[in-house]
Amino acid sequence: MRLLSRALALVRNISRRQHTDDDLDTELRGYVDALAAEKMRQGIDRSEAERAARIELGGFDVVKENVRDARTGAMLDVIARDVRFAARGLRKTPAFTVAAALALALGIGATTAILSVVRAVLLQPLPYANADRLVVTLHDGRNPVAPANFADWRAQTHSFTDMAAAEFWTPDLTADVDPEQISALRLTARMFPMLGVPPLLGRTFTPDEEHAGNDHVVVLSYGLWQRRFAADRGVLGKTLPLNGEPYTIVGVMPATFQFAPFWATRAELWAPLSLDARLSSRNGQSLRIFARLRPGVSLSQARADLGAVTARLEAVYSGTNRNVQVMPLKEMVVGNIETPLVVLFVAVACVLLIACANVAHMLLARAATRYRELAIRTALGATRARLVAQLLIESAMLAALGGVGGLALAAWGVRALVAASPAIIPRVATVTLDGSVLLIAVAVTAATAIVFGLLPALRTARVDLAETLRDGDRASSDGSERGRLRGALVASEFSLALVLLIGAGLMIRSFVALERVDPGFDPRNVVTMIVSTAGTPAADSSRHQQFYIEALSQVRALPGVASASYINHRPLDGDVWGFPFRAESRAHPKTGDWPTATYRVVFPEYFATMGIPILRGRDIAETDRADAPNVVVVNESFANAQWPAGDAIGKRITFDDSTWMTVVGIVRNHVSDQLSAAPRPEMFLPFRQQRAYVNGTGASRAMTLVARLACDRAECDASKFAPPIRAAIHRAERNAPISAVTTMQKLVADATAEPRFYLVLLTAFAAIAVILAAVGIYGVMSYAVSRRTHEIGIRIALGAAPSSVVRVIVRQAITLAAAGAAIGLVAAFALTRMMRGILYGVTPTDAVTFVAVTMLLLGVAILASLIPARRATRVDPLVALRTD
Amino acid sequence: MASAPTPLLQGTLDLLILKSLTLGDLHGLGVARRIAQITGGAYDVKPGSLFPALHRLEENGWLAASWGESENNRRAKFYRLTKAGHKQLAEETREWQRVAAAMHLALGST
Repeated sequence: MRLLSRALALVRNISRRQHTDDDLDTELRGYVDALAAEKMRQGIDRSEAERAARIELGGFDVVKENVRDARTGAMLDVIARDVRFAARGLRKTPAFTVAAALALALGIGATTAILSVVRAVLLQPLPYANADRLVVTLHDGRNPVAPANFADWRAQTHSFTDMAAAEFWTPDLTADVDPEQISALRLTARMFPMLGVPPLLGRTFTPDEEHAGNDHVVVLSYGLWQRRFAADRGVLGKTLPLNGEPYTIVGVMPATFQFAPFWATRAELWAPLSLDARLSSRNGQSLRIFARLRPGVSLSQARADLGAVTARLEAVYSGTNRNVQVMPLKEMVVGNIETPLVVLFVAVACVLLIACANVAHMLLARAATRYRELAIRTALGATRARLVAQLLIESAMLAALGGVGGLALAAWGVRALVAASPAIIPRVATVTLDGSVLLIAVAVTAATAIVFGLLPALRTARVDLAETLRDGDRASSDGSERGRLRGALVASEFSLALVLLIGAGLMIRSFVALERVDPGFDPRNVVTMIVSTAGTPAADSSRHQQFYIEALSQVRALPGVASASYINHRPLDGDVWGFPFRAESRAHPKTGDWPTATYRVVFPEYFATMGIPILRGRDIAETDRADAPNVVVVNESFANAQWPAGDAIGKRITFDDSTWMTVVGIVRNHVSDQLSAAPRPEMFLPFRQQRAYVNGTGASRAMTLVARLACDRAECDASKFAPPIRAAIHRAERNAPISAVTTMQKLVADATAEPRFYLVLLTAFAAIAVILAAVGIYGVMSYAVSRRTHEIGIRIALGAAPSSVVRVIVRQAITLAAAGAAIGLVAAFALTRMMRGILYGVTPTDAVTFVAVTMLLLGVAILASLIPARRATRVDPLVALRTD
Repeated sequence: MASAPTPLLQGTLDLLILKSLTLGDLHGLGVARRIAQITGGAYDVKPGSLFPALHRLEENGWLAASWGESENNRRAKFYRLTKAGHKQLAEETREWQRVAAAMHLALGST
């Protein structure tokens, strides 16, 4: 009852403040009137009675104040007053407010955005049942496995409940409209049950479907289902034409399902893998093996188990079971991006710390100017609790401003990061703003703001009231403990900024080195696209070769096309793996010990079109037909490895010990799959002499067209050439699927997308850090100058030259910055080591970077202190000496 | 902030106000005069403590207020003891008597 009554009173007091106040006025006036009337009844005359009554009341406002304090919610009134007071204070110093709120917002925003990505990518479990029990078994931890080895491992190991294989597959969706090439995987039937993710619709594969004849069924990804079937729930049982053959749709996976999580990450379709005849093959390493650890079996036990099996197999089939590694799936997924993400994490932590240090010393500087205010308020009877409450409210408001700004920045940052991140970052699409991260970032910065905002209030207890009031702001010189604390904060900002700048500097150097990598071909003005015959009459082995020849002559005849040719797989695109061969006249190696080289199939003029110089010998020619002697062109690294004496031309190689190919030309090395990788041996064989390609069997049903444009300008608008080239190809075969239309220049740019992404991020952080540090030193030096106005005035009055005043101020700034830089250099020396994995062409302790960055930062310190220093020289000694 | 009266004093004043209203509704001055009367002039309650106490008791729901005419035909706020106020008075009276008896006993002993 009493509680309810007081709650109602609280509502009334807040909502009808004016009304209750008026009531109180009326009531008190009534009291005075009644008192006066009483006195008049005692015979006192009217005016005298009224005066006496008012005196007896003891002051209208005092009584009213007492009543207000007695009312419920009086504390709220006080808080509201403090909030208004704090807001006024913050508005009156806009520079301070904006700088502090911005520092907080940058710290919170950047931290939250980056940590959201780190958490989603590195820390969230993979979207499979008990994903931490899933492993991958591959040669050297990354290379694919031959079918017979998969079969043996599955049969002979005991550590796994399941073992399943996946093979990359890029079928052409040969629909009447929009034919396209689809990224897909063929999976053994146990894969889906092993992953433990049920389909959204229908079913996954049965063991029967693992055999040829039953294997024309597919499970769709959610994305493909949406894209091609408009999320039609009646899609089950319908057929999908892949490579011209009908596949029955049996299931659709949920939106969250993605497989594989590394390599082939864009697979949109899954079909059964029928190994059948291939099961006995130890060549043709094309399978990625996934397995689930048996309950209770540790990773090391599984490794020992598989190690024993592969040792046994290696003894029998030499060279086929070397260095097979069992890796946790998670490690495969995050392994490559762990280093960059950890680097970014450290960078962002630096930014957050700098922001905190900045806010801290800004608040300290502000507090120093308020000792007088606080002392006066104490003298007027404000209790310490009231002062603390007021400062707390002010800091909290500042933190709230920063928090709101930070939230906005973080929301924008996450979206920008997801949009800008290269495809190599797995699961980046699942990244959203992480609430708990935001909470932590806000808590850290808010705690800083509040602690450093409160310091002055806690100190007033120790301040000598009279002293402060007498001496005003000059009370203590800046050599105090407080000054030292601020100096330390600024120095630490500089050391953190230096670490960040060095990191960014190394990335820039590394990026420049990468951009300077000569790809070995001329990527300008080359249009490229994948041309397939799947699902068209040209897929027929009798017409296959003819189609490519016809299409090529159509393209070559186009105005603006200087030259054109085909290759099976263009550089910087897709998987590259070794193909075993043997060179004649060298000691006959055992099977499995054969050297390997990248297998390329080309048409004549490929090298000319790509701008790859032929160093010796000749190009593949039109005359290198099936009935002519077999020939091969190799790259330098192939020739040097096999024939170090430099007499490669005329030598012969074989893949099967029966067909021999003569080396007729040597081309310059050029990049194959990665810009930063050392060149590998490559061999280029004529299309017409590769039977699989001539007949268009299996995967050999597609070629990549490359066309060099003849342009006046340095660069043509390649996109304008895509439609006529497409039309020219379609004149040879109306429905030939064409996909992955792009330019070589774009492919080269994409190859540097990942380092560019890290570069942009690190540079952005470094820029934020430098700005914050500059604001920091500017703030501290401005404050120092204002504190020393008196001293400077005396110096100038005594005849000091302006330049010497500037020197004093700047020297102080440099001392702070240099102290910070020294610590920063040591820290950077220790920290940049972990960047080794993402650097190219530069060491983590690159002297140029270290020196340049230190100089830059000291320069910033000087600039930032020059402004207050110049202001100091304009001090009028008369004014300064009179300054209170 | 309010200058805090000692709890005993505050309690005493509250009790006296509640008691003063048992015979009928009174305005502020009426309450003060009634208290002076029933305590034989021992307590002369000043407005500085009277009004905060009245408002507090009203917010607690022990008093209800209404506007009326004073003897000299001016608007005045009259206070009335509510049901909860009667209960509170009984309770506080009991408590006071217990304390008074105990104090009497304690001070009377040698």
